[in-house]
Amino acid sequence: MTPTSPSTGTASRPRMLRLGPVAAWPWQPRTLLVNLCVLAVLLVGLLRALLAFDDYPMGLGEVLATLVGRGEPGPEFVVFQLRLPRALTGMLVGAALGMAGAIMQGLTRNPLASPDVLGITWGAAVGAVAVIVTAGSAGGVSGLAADLGLPVGALLGGLGAAAVVFALSWRTGLASDRLLLVGVATSLVCANLVYWAMTWTDLQDAARAQTWLSGSLHAADWTRLAPTALALGLLVPAALFVARPLAALGLGEDTARGLGVRVTGARLALLGYAALLVCVATSAAGPIAFVALAAPQIALRLARRAQPPLVGSALVGAALTVVADQLAAGLFAPTQLPVGVFTAILGAPYLMYLVVRRHRQQSG
Amino acid sequence: MASVSDTTGTETPSRLYGTGLRLAYGDHVIAENLDFTVADRGVTAIIGPNGCGKSTLLRALGRLLRPAAGEVILDGAPIAARPPKEVARTVAVLPQSPQAPAGLSVGDLVARGRHPHQSWYRQWSTTDHHAVSEALELTGMQEHAERALDQLSGGQRQRAWISMALAQDTDLLLLDEPTTFLDLAHQIEVLDLVRTLNSRHGRTVVMVLHDLNLAARYAHYLVAMRDGTVVEAGAPRQVLTPELMATTFDLNAQIITDPVAGTPMVVPASTTDTEPVVTAPVG
Repeated sequence: MTPTSPSTGTASRPRMLRLGPVAAWPWQPRTLLVNLCVLAVLLVGLLRALLAFDDYPMGLGEVLATLVGRGEPGPEFVVFQLRLPRALTGMLVGAALGMAGAIMQGLTRNPLASPDVLGITWGAAVGAVAVIVTAGSAGGVSGLAADLGLPVGALLGGLGAAAVVFALSWRTGLASDRLLLVGVATSLVCANLVYWAMTWTDLQDAARAQTWLSGSLHAADWTRLAPTALALGLLVPAALFVARPLAALGLGEDTARGLGVRVTGARLALLGYAALLVCVATSAAGPIAFVALAAPQIALRLARRAQPPLVGSALVGAALTVVADQLAAGLFAPTQLPVGVFTAILGAPYLMYLVVRRHRQQSG
Repeated sequence: MASVSDTTGTETPSRLYGTGLRLAYGDHVIAENLDFTVADRGVTAIIGPNGCGKSTLLRALGRLLRPAAGEVILDGAPIAARPPKEVARTVAVLPQSPQAPAGLSVGDLVARGRHPHQSWYRQWSTTDHHAVSEALELTGMQEHAERALDQLSGGQRQRAWISMALAQDTDLLLLDEPTTFLDLAHQIEVLDLVRTLNSRHGRTVVMVLHDLNLAARYAHYLVAMRDGTVVEAGAPRQVLTPELMATTFDLNAQIITDPVAGTPMVVPASTTDTEPVVTAPVG
């Protein structure tokens, strides 16, 4: 890293990344370098997740042997059925959240924007908890209701909340301040709906709902990972195409329109797309706070960009979630903290810091 | 009416004009039945007192504001019906005091001007690279390409934004008060640039200007507006008269000849509803 004087701005004119004869993307050396570093952290995090989690420590050789299919049945079960799906789910969910946060913050030009603030996370919670309390029996949610009903409920709830927030903030266009205010209000309403549903149902369902609400990767397995991986495998790369107007929109509504962007349409499409990412992620693991809020800001500072970079934010989000999951599991052992609770504890002071800083900037 | 005489005396339709424009923000009507024609290959300055609708007119011409009635025609077709990106390849518009994210570099800003030339699968090309370099060179901002926008002087920042509009590579350039908040030296710097863009690169420029004397010096055509209507349009010497100053700007003024440029120059005496307070010094 080279020391920078305060007058140095963001990386300048990009270089070109070609894919085939016509497709090309701009890229910058520093961004690429930072992305590779974050990727390395992510890979180390993934490997460590396979080595030693909770109560079954394994050596590197043992894990590698298992990975190439030459392990003992015991370690094989631990690696393939417990640790690998958990680590991969964390990675995918984190990437989706990081990318969604980058889009939301770039679009609203506000570092406070995140799915938690915009009401989408709590909307998903309403959907999921509704499934838990209505479909649950004394034995809890199981079978089809758990595998299909819960994610679908979360998906519909989150998208529904997003639609409500967009519709209520709509005047002649989508203004970002109104979007945030309506989002906060919608979050509160949804949170209260969730708690109302939990008091209304029996104790066991309420406990299950609470577990889901804390956002955990503990229950990750292949049946849940597969649809998530499929959905995010399509959605995340699509961002490279979908997010094109973000740079122009970052210069404000008038300038963007002057550059030929259909401002309203582009904003709606981008917010809808980000909401979809968040819903898929949340339906897989429950609400994991902080990642969508912090990953874009970390990526922005690492790559020294003026707007959150999408790929960088996804990578930071993935690394953050994988590492946080291990910390949450390990710090208070033998008690395993759900990763969502851990990230929420980290996120609260960070959010306060952002609010205070923004307030100072505006009044100063 | 939507035409200008070219040098041979034949009438050719202007590339950009508006007819019967009704411009409004919600219920607040700024202009009614307004006609305006941009002189091709010229520099036009729109002048007028605050709130006369000059910025609003520019916004309508640049497709930032959709007229409540009437049409803006670009190259023979209504601007509202054409694909936005296609319009943005012909007309660049620089809004008044535009905003950039904190820390954005000049190079990054100018690169964003290439948006209308890109597509979802081709987001950067060698043409883009050359256009950006050329735009930076034209404005003399090449050496500042790596610097952050918020670290520049007002004049440099304005030149950076103009570079972004230039990178758009359009024949027409609409500038909304490009000299606001600049000290006089930087105003001259920006307006010299505008004039160069017109004379050497054949770009048609329309700008909203506050300073009448600079407008008269740098524009080929002046358009004076008041209360949403065009009061007078033509060459600076035709437009800037004591009568116009009284009726449009509520100012008793003398018009003298600018000793440097030979263009008309306004010397205000008093507002129309008061007597002159300042008198010539004795001796």
